This record gives sequence, structure tokens and C-alpha cells, in this order.
Amino acid sequence: MSQSPIIPTVRGRLLALAAAVGLAGCVSTAAAADTAGIDFFEHAVRPLLADKCYSCHSAGAKKIKGSLRLDTYAGMIGGGESGKPAVVPGKPESSQIITAVHRSTEDLAMPPKEADKLSNQEQADLEKWVAMGAPHPEANGAVAAPVVDRAALMAKGREFWSFKPLAEVAVPAAGAGWADSDIDRFIAAGHKDKGLTPTPDADRRTLIRRATYDLTGLPPTPEESDAFVADQAPDAYARLVDRLLASPRYGEQWGRHWLDVARYADTAGDSADYPVPQAWRYRDWVISAFNRDLPYDHFIRAQIAGDLLPAGDDEERRGNLVATGFIALAKRFSVAPEREKQLTIEDTIDTLGHAVLGLSLNCARCHDHKFDPIPTTDYYALYGIFDSTRYPFAGSEENHRPFDLVRLVSEEEEAKATGGKAAEIRAEQEHLQALWKERDGGKRARRKAAEKARLADHGDGKELKPEEQAALAEQAKKDAEAHAAEDGKRRDDGAIKHEIEETQKRHQGLVDNLPDYLQAYAFAVGEMEQPHDVQVQKRGDLSKLGDQVRRGFPTVLGGQKVAAGTTGSGRLELAGWLSEPSNPLTARVMVNRLWHWHFGRGLVATTNDFGTRGAAPVNPALLDWLAKRFIAEGWSVKRLQREIMLSRTYRQGWSGDEHNRTIDPDNTLCWRFDRRRLSAEEIRDSMLAVSGRLDLSSAGPHPFPPLKDWGYSQHVQFFAVYPSSHRAVYVMQQRLRKHPFFELFDGADTSFSTGVRASASTPLQSLFLMNDRFVFDQAQAIAERAPGDAAEQVANVYRNVLGRAASADEVQVASTYLARFQAEAGAAGMDAKAGVASLARALLASNEFMFLE
Amino acid sequence: MDRLPLLTRRQAVSSLLAGSLLLPGLGGGGAGLWAGETPAPTDPLAPRAPHFPAKAKRVIMIYLSGGMSHVDSFDYKPKLYSAAGTKVNNKFIKRPDWEFKPRGKCGAQISELWPHLAEKADELCIINSLRADHGNHFEAALGIHTGSVTLARPSLGAWVSYALGTNDKNLPSFVVLAPELPYAGGQVWSANFLPPCHQGVRITPGDEPIPDIIRRLPTAGLQGLELGLVQSLNQRHLQGRPDQALSGRMDAFTTAGGMQNEAPEVFDLTTESDATHELYGLKRGEKKGFAWQALVARRLAERGVRFIELIDVGANSGHNWDAHGDMATHTPLAKNVDQPTAALLTDLRQRGMLDDTLVIFTTEFGRTPTVDGEKNKGREHHPNCFTSWLAGGGVKAGMTYGASDELGIEVAEKLVHVNDFHATILHLLGLDHEKLTYRYGGRDFRLTDVAGNVVKDIVA
Repeated sequence: MSQSPIIPTVRGRLLALAAAVGLAGCVSTAAAADTAGIDFFEHAVRPLLADKCYSCHSAGAKKIKGSLRLDTYAGMIGGGESGKPAVVPGKPESSQIITAVHRSTEDLAMPPKEADKLSNQEQADLEKWVAMGAPHPEANGAVAAPVVDRAALMAKGREFWSFKPLAEVAVPAAGAGWADSDIDRFIAAGHKDKGLTPTPDADRRTLIRRATYDLTGLPPTPEESDAFVADQAPDAYARLVDRLLASPRYGEQWGRHWLDVARYADTAGDSADYPVPQAWRYRDWVISAFNRDLPYDHFIRAQIAGDLLPAGDDEERRGNLVATGFIALAKRFSVAPEREKQLTIEDTIDTLGHAVLGLSLNCARCHDHKFDPIPTTDYYALYGIFDSTRYPFAGSEENHRPFDLVRLVSEEEEAKATGGKAAEIRAEQEHLQALWKERDGGKRARRKAAEKARLADHGDGKELKPEEQAALAEQAKKDAEAHAAEDGKRRDDGAIKHEIEETQKRHQGLVDNLPDYLQAYAFAVGEMEQPHDVQVQKRGDLSKLGDQVRRGFPTVLGGQKVAAGTTGSGRLELAGWLSEPSNPLTARVMVNRLWHWHFGRGLVATTNDFGTRGAAPVNPALLDWLAKRFIAEGWSVKRLQREIMLSRTYRQGWSGDEHNRTIDPDNTLCWRFDRRRLSAEEIRDSMLAVSGRLDLSSAGPHPFPPLKDWGYSQHVQFFAVYPSSHRAVYVMQQRLRKHPFFELFDGADTSFSTGVRASASTPLQSLFLMNDRFVFDQAQAIAERAPGDAAEQVANVYRNVLGRAASADEVQVASTYLARFQAEAGAAGMDAKAGVASLARALLASNEFMFLE
Repeated sequence: MDRLPLLTRRQAVSSLLAGSLLLPGLGGGGAGLWAGETPAPTDPLAPRAPHFPAKAKRVIMIYLSGGMSHVDSFDYKPKLYSAAGTKVNNKFIKRPDWEFKPRGKCGAQISELWPHLAEKADELCIINSLRADHGNHFEAALGIHTGSVTLARPSLGAWVSYALGTNDKNLPSFVVLAPELPYAGGQVWSANFLPPCHQGVRITPGDEPIPDIIRRLPTAGLQGLELGLVQSLNQRHLQGRPDQALSGRMDAFTTAGGMQNEAPEVFDLTTESDATHELYGLKRGEKKGFAWQALVARRLAERGVRFIELIDVGANSGHNWDAHGDMATHTPLAKNVDQPTAALLTDLRQRGMLDDTLVIFTTEFGRTPTVDGEKNKGREHHPNCFTSWLAGGGVKAGMTYGASDELGIEVAEKLVHVNDFHATILHLLGLDHEKLTYRYGGRDFRLTDVAGNVVKDIVA
């Protein structure tokens, strides 16, 4: 099978990349008032300039023809050698560029080749743009986009709200007569500015349902609801919140939220999607961390560098180790993921950026982030840290067994789990890696030579000058000779291959029949023996290396570097920088997440993106106040949640005041509580809960096939759906093929950090509720638990499914329904409970059940 | 057109609910019961105009999984015959197993592997200069579907659904007829970060082509009763809650009812004439095979489904186009696909639908013209140069575009990168690939990422 590296080797991307500056990249927000005009420039004009003109008229051109640059506003206005401006804003007839593209005179016809001429549409767009006054993001003297002035960008970046230090804000004196708490006063101040009025408090039954789902992901039992409704003590609600925060179910709900952000999955995501039988430990660690209210700064540190943190006891040590699953569970790629580590590192940095900092750091993998102040060097400063980190591998098409797992148990227990062969197993794994290195070293060199030869032969579609072609051919010949000489010293490929196969066989022989082997280890990371800085990979291409960059933290966030003489990878330092109280993003991003998960919308709507392309905060003062308070209260998640939930803001009803709706239709300023559909997990768990079939014990590891059966490949991928009556958070979820239920109901993406879940209602979901066996099974169980006559059955089913009493007319209608349905069902051969089960299904499918308000 | 008159959605649901009792005091039936039916203005699947007028209104994409050999099918390289057995770059030139002939009025070279398609040469626009980014199935299959060979991205079909919506809400906008899973599994039809309603719905031949489409209750009457109750409960709940999420969900039930009604009719081929069965080479009553897929595709296209993908075989290299072991394995595979694909073109033409249906025939990469061993019967993966063809909506017919070098190893003329291929497909649908963007994670994403040029020479 042929192999080629997963590096974007696409030609013609150079130019396109320049175009990306305007397109996929980022438009300055400060530069221009005329955003529509700028938009037109970015979408219609800049791409065509990049496509047709930049190859000769930009900073990226080999030689700038006629000294004219069209990649800057100044260049267009100033013109080139001719001294005439290429663009005269508002005057197409005086603009040289328009004359040129019309090709009406022979001396000034551009682009030079007739074949490349602009289409009529393109000519019209260009002319329209000039006539509009040539709106351009640099028109006000802002930074030139294609040539980045880093210092200026950085200075400008620090001015952006999210990179500024947390502000000291005073609690506003607003909301008299309504506000119960400081949070309410901030919200009331926002209301006052816009003329909004808060919605009256929710009724008690609504409130307990809301709070219980919110904190535990489950409905309250009918008894709990009744008791709360009857409890008139002034502190009844506060006691309810405290009870729910202390429930073990709390960690399952809020841990799941974090698992969304951490793109948790039980498989690796390589071409065969190998199982990761140890992943569950990370999942359980997250759940337990929320239940224990582990301070958030510590929570972050443990996930980045738990293996390097001091631990009070063995349990904490194991927990810290497992916590690095956050990094270890980065997505794997291809048939040989260890050979594509650069992509796994990219996933790590991407996830880390979104999850902890709310930043898209990965834009900077190929080019300086154009408007967020993240230069490529910052990306490779982080890259070096993870390139110096040892990742475990789950197994892959080319190597069916895991390696570099991290010992979790004591040495004695490890000896027991490995039949005393732990050292031998490790030795085989190390031997394998040495062999791969030997094999790939030769291959990579040969591939490069072959590429050069190919270019010389074919010009790669570009017109190469004869001398260029000759030079390439000469170089290719030299390389080939060098390889031949090297090959003389090197072992034969076949011999290496043979030894790899033999080693793999021995390795498999050692591990395949050890029942306790896999669970004696964690899927965790460690330090490489030789930590190192890396060179910038130009345009994200591993073979095009630039300057070496010292490992460190993004410049705009402080730019701390790993100290000289440090022996570690830098993860420990990174963990510290991320959790510094002075870091403006870590606390802001997390309190915003908490707000989003409670209210369904963050104060910053784009919870994973606090960059310039993200949404602006609607109540920046509140955001900073919450962040400061979070830090001051020892990064306690539960304390902040308690404060949010006890606020009157949270306790508002859902009804919509007409006046408010006109002013703020999307309720961005929290003048009511927004209704939301239950999440995939909540839907499943609620159905199991009301049918009495939910297993509330923790589930432990998944029943993956034994190691000796692992031979998955891209042709025969691993795929399984394990039935479970445990809570949804414990259900096995894969990367390549999503679990059908979670896919159907908008579960989290298992390959990317999910900050905001979708909650679309689709016909396929309706079909599930109409016809799926799972729904029928739960309805049957509900029906079987409903005794008595029709009226009693109806009352019972209403109470169990909806947690409330049926009204008199509901009982009457449903009883009529039962009789009618049962008669037809009986005729169709169904049992005596068919009608009650149908009623239960209808209630399970109802909007009242599916939505929280 | 000989299709059955279709029920409107409202009629479908009324018929579904035939016999449903109107529950006193619970919404009362009539129009009020279906308050959510008018598509909301924000309905993500509502039909939308393209960026500019275009002929193609819908797409049928045929994807051969495993890598169809270009030099054995549509890219004629005489030197592979004349110089067979000699060495180039330390590899042996391998003779193709099939003879080529000029076909149709246009004289396009098509091999004997495709006798029926050869008859359709004047309908095809064959591109012999495609290039993919990766030589592995998994990555290349992702590439031809999503434009990205590394990270999962939305599929072409999902982008088209997102751009244009759909005309029949009783059916999904993007349907994938896939008896087996391809490389990279469901990622190839994923909506990824686009709204989930644009995800391809996989249809598997057999008794339950769409998950949960089969009524579990024994009679339609019982289901009508139950759905009537659900909608009545929802109608009552909706009072005082003017919320599109609630009415939208009621609408989804209505559509699901319609889908459940319509889907069996779509998959019921008994109303197709003997002549049609014969044209496709489909045995009456047969519910699987590529002929079944092709005929169902036409029926879906008639009903307004925006993007229909037919995946031929899957990731199992034992029986897909991944002919490492022996090129002869292409024979039965082509036999299975050839006649139905030609029939689909004929059928669409006869029904006046070929002019506004774009047919894509593609694979993830080609196969190596040269091989390691002199006696090797198979060919390896070859992303540097391969073949696909387009037909129908807005494409120049009877054209061969681009060329490989004399051995079919590299593109010699008019390179069409997969990104260019995608840009062109979008263009044929009236979509500017640079304007079709979706903001995700702080970036405006495109199907073509930062690349792609429309191949204007093949646009009619």
C-alpha cells in the first residue's frame, strides 16, 4: 500500500493562502466604519486580486513588477513606478487598475496573459468597488494585512477586551425592589439601560424541575416536587440547591459538560478507531472532580501536568495521572498515528486553546493569525511543549496493540497484571519504536528525492524555466546517489519490515492473554527523555522548517518562556501560566461557560471563542465581576453556581413580556428564563428514570473485545454500541462513527471541543419517538407500574412522566383516549396495557416532557 | 413522469390521522391543530435561491469506494500497451486488462470495462486530470467528500443542502444510499459544524432503509391515534408559549408522519414498468444492488431531494475497487455499476431531468500505471492523477478534459485538484465556492478551504 504523509502538499495554495487573509481569516473590526463595503472588498475583490494580481504585485511576489503592490491600500493608492495611482477611490475612469483589466489598450492590459483575463463579473466587481470609494480595512491607516507588523498587532491585540486584565467593577446600584443579589444588580442595570423589566418569579414546581435538571440532568421525583411545593420555609429553595449540588448526580451532569469541551471519546479516532479501554478513568476523574468541587485552577493544572504535580497520597497521584487524559485523548490520525504526531499535537493545542482560553490557536499553525494576536511563533512555542511530551497510543492499523501506556498501579500489582513481564513488554515497545524510526528515516529521505525528481520531470503543472528544471534534476540525482550510498549502510527495507513483524508478534504474545493488563495502566502522558524546542513549520508543512522557537506561552497572554536549563517539557510551567489569576482568559472563559450551561446562553455567546471573531460580551461588567469573584472564592465552581442559582435572575419565569420581546427578542439581557430542549443525555436518562429502569451505579470500563481480537483497520473499523441502563455519560462513545442516539439528538462532537450544543428538532428524532424499541420499552415499563382503573392509570402516568397531577379535563380526555385506543389495540392483538403504554409514549414525546423552562 | 400523485404533507398527515379522534378541549383539530405547519422563515431546509442562476438543481453523486483505475477505464494510454513490461523509475509498466475504443460522436476513449457507459459517451464530460491530496483510502475518501484529508469537515452534500435547502420536506435533503460503510465511515456524509439537519441520511437497502421508519404499532389507525394525541398535547402546551422551538418540533412530527408515509412509496419499485426494470438491469422484487440504488436515486431526485449520493460497495477491501491483488476484480464491480449508471442517464434524459440534474461519477484516487513486480496483477493507490466524470446540469457533454502524461502517472495538462472539482460542482449549482461560508470556531469555513478554482472550460 502506498503511503504519503498527511501534510497539505497542495500546490497553488500559496496564492490562495494570501487570499485567505481576507477570506477565511479575519477582518479588522476597528479599521472601518463601512463594514458592508469592507465585506464586499473581502469577499469579491481581495480574492480576485490575490488570484490574478498578487503573484506579481504583492509582498509575496518573487519580484514586485513595476514596484506596484496591490496587497496594501497604500500600494494601490500610491501606485508603482508609473507614478499613477492604481486606484482612485470613487473614480474608476481614473484608476489604472480598471483600465488595465478592461484590456482596452495594448500597453496596459492586465493580467499579462489574455487567458488569465478577469471575467466580466470580476471586472464589474472591481469597478463597483472603486466606484464605492474603494472601501478597504487599511483605509484609515490600520495595519496592512498581508505583511504583519507583529509589534503593532500585539499592541492592538492587548487592547481587545478579552486580553485586557480583569476590571475592578463596582456593583451597580440598580434593581431596587427586585434584586436579591449582586448578580441581579448587574442584570437590572442592563435592563434599565434598555427599558426592560424582569419577568415575575417562576412557580415552585417549575423551579424545582429547572434546578433539578440543571444540576443533575434528571427530573425531580414526584415526591420531591410535592415536598418542595409544600415547603414554605424561606430557605426552602436554598436548601434545594444545596441538596442538588451535593448529589452524586451533579458530577455526572456537570462532568459531562466538561467532557464536551474536552472532546472526550472512548476511541482514538485513527483510521480504524481503536478502542481506548482506559479512557473511562479520565471520564470518572472529571465527574469526581466536579463532585468534590476541585478548585478550577487545580482542575486545569492536573489535566495539563498532573503527572508532574506533587500528590498527598497514592489516590491523588493516580488521579493526577489520569487527569492528563485531557491531553492523552487527543485525536489520532491515519493508519499509523505515531507517525502523524504533528496532527495529534495540533488537536491538543486546538482543544487546549478553545477549552481553557477560548482561543483558536490553530489558525497560527500555518500563518500568523491575522487579527487575533497569535503569531505562528506562539503556536510553535506551545508545539515544542507537546512535542516534548510522550503520548500513549491505543493501537492502529499498522500496530494492533497499544504502547506507551502509563503505569497506574504499584510495581507489585503491575508485575501481577503482566505475569512478571512488564520490563520485557516495555522493551519490545521501545524496540518497535526504534525500528519504525529506522524504517521511516530512509523512506522520508527517498520521498523527498522522488518529489524533486517528479518536479524536474513534470514541472508540477507550473511552467518551470529550463534552468530551474535542470537544477532540480541535478539535485534529485545527487540525492538519489546519496541515498544509494546511505542505503548501502542501511539495512534492507525488507529486513526491517520482517523484524517489525517479528517484534509485533512477540509483543502480542506477551500482552494478549493478560486479563488485568489494560486496566493496570492509564491513558496518560509523560515527559520525553529529551525535551526540545521546535522549528516553525512554514504553512504547517513539516518539511519546510523556519526559525527555532523557545517553548513558551502566547505573547499576548504574557509570553513567558520555559527557563533555560529546565529539564522538563514545559507542561508544568504551562499548567501554571494557564491557571495564573493574572491570566485574563482562564477565569472569564470558565465563568462564561457556567453561565451558558445554566442559562442556555453565555454572556459571551461564543463560549469557545473569545477572539476578535467571537461575540462581544453583552454584560462585560458582570463577566469580569463573576471572574474576579470566582478567583477570590478559591476557583470554587459550586460556590459560584450557588450564587447564580440563588439569584432572582435565575428564578425568573419563562413567560415573554411583549414589550421586552420587542426590545431584546433573543433575551440576551436575561429578562426571563429561556426555555430549552433537553440534551441527548437528559432525554435518555429521563426516560429511563421515569420508567424506573435507570441504573444509578457507576459503570466502570466498557466491555471492549479482548486484546487478542484487535485487528482493526480502515477496511474493518472498530464499531460497537453497548447496551446500557447506566446514565448516558457512561455510555461508550466513538469518534469515527457516533453513537446513533447521541448523533440523533445532537450529542457532543467527539472529535472537536464542543462549547455550545445544537438542539434542532428533526423528523428523524420524531421517528425515534414514534417507533424505536427503546421508547416502547420504557413506555411499557411505565404502563406496567400504573395500576387501577382508567382514571387512576392516567393520573399515575401523568404524575410519573410529567411529575405533576393531571387536571380533571386531562384525565377525562386521556381516559376517553385509553378506551378508544385499547379497543383498536385489542382488535389488533395487543395486550391490555397497550393503551396506557400509548399514553405514556405520547407524554414522553410531548413538548412538555422534552423542554425545560 | 409516471410517478404517483403525491400527497401534500398536510394530506399525508390527515390520512395518517384518519380515524383519529378529535379530543374535546385539547386543541380541537382543524387548522389550529397544525399551527406549526407553515415553515418558519428560519427553517434551515427551506428552499433557497443560489448565488447566481444555474442549470443544475440537484445532484446525484456516484462514488466508487476503494479507488477505480483510471488507466483501465477512461484514460487511454497507448504506451501502457506498447511498453508493457519495461521499467520506468524502477517499476514495471503494467498493461491494462481492457482495450479502449473511441466512443460516440465525440470519440471519447472508454474501455471495454464500461460497455454501457461507452454508449453514453456523448453525455459525459470526462476529466482525466484530477489530483487528490493523499494516498490512503481513509484520508482520500474524506478528501473527495469534504475537501479535507485530515480533519473531518462538512460533506459536499451537506454544503449543498445548507446552501439550497430542499423541496420535499417529507424526505431528507441529503440522502446517501450506502449498503456498506465507506472508509472514514459516516464522516463522509457528516454535517460536521453545519446545522445537523444537513447531515446525510444513510439509507441501507433492505426492510428498514431509514432508522425507525417502520411503524412499530400494528395498524396505521393506532399510530394515527397516538400522533393525534401527541399533537393535541403539544397544541395545548403551546397556548401562551409563542415559541418557534415548540411549534418547529410539532412540525417535525408532521414531517416524520409524512416521511413514514412517503418513504415506503419511494422505495416501492413495483410501480416501475418492466421496461424500466430492464433498462436498469434490475430483477423485479430485488431490493439491493447498484441497480436498486440507481433507480431509487431517480425516484428521490423526482421528489425533490437535493443531493443524493450512491456509494458503491464500502471499506471492505475484499470486494471493493481496491484492486491490489488483481485488476480482474474490477470486472464484476464494473458490471454491477455500468448498466444501472448508463440507465440512470438514459432515464433522466427521457424524463427531461438530466438538464437540471448534475451527475457526478467519482472515486477517491486512481491506480498506479506501474507496479513493483513484473507479474503483479493488481495496481496500487494513485492520488497524483485520476479520472472522474460529470454529466447533465450545465456541463459540456461529449467532452474529455485535461490529460495525464503518456503513462498516466502525472497530470500533464489542466490539473483539476479535488478543491477545483468541488468549486466547479458548486458553480454548476449556482454557488460561488468562496461565498458559501459558515462561521465556526472564529473562522469562516468553506468547502474548498483556501483553494479551488472553477474549471470554466467544462461549464456549458
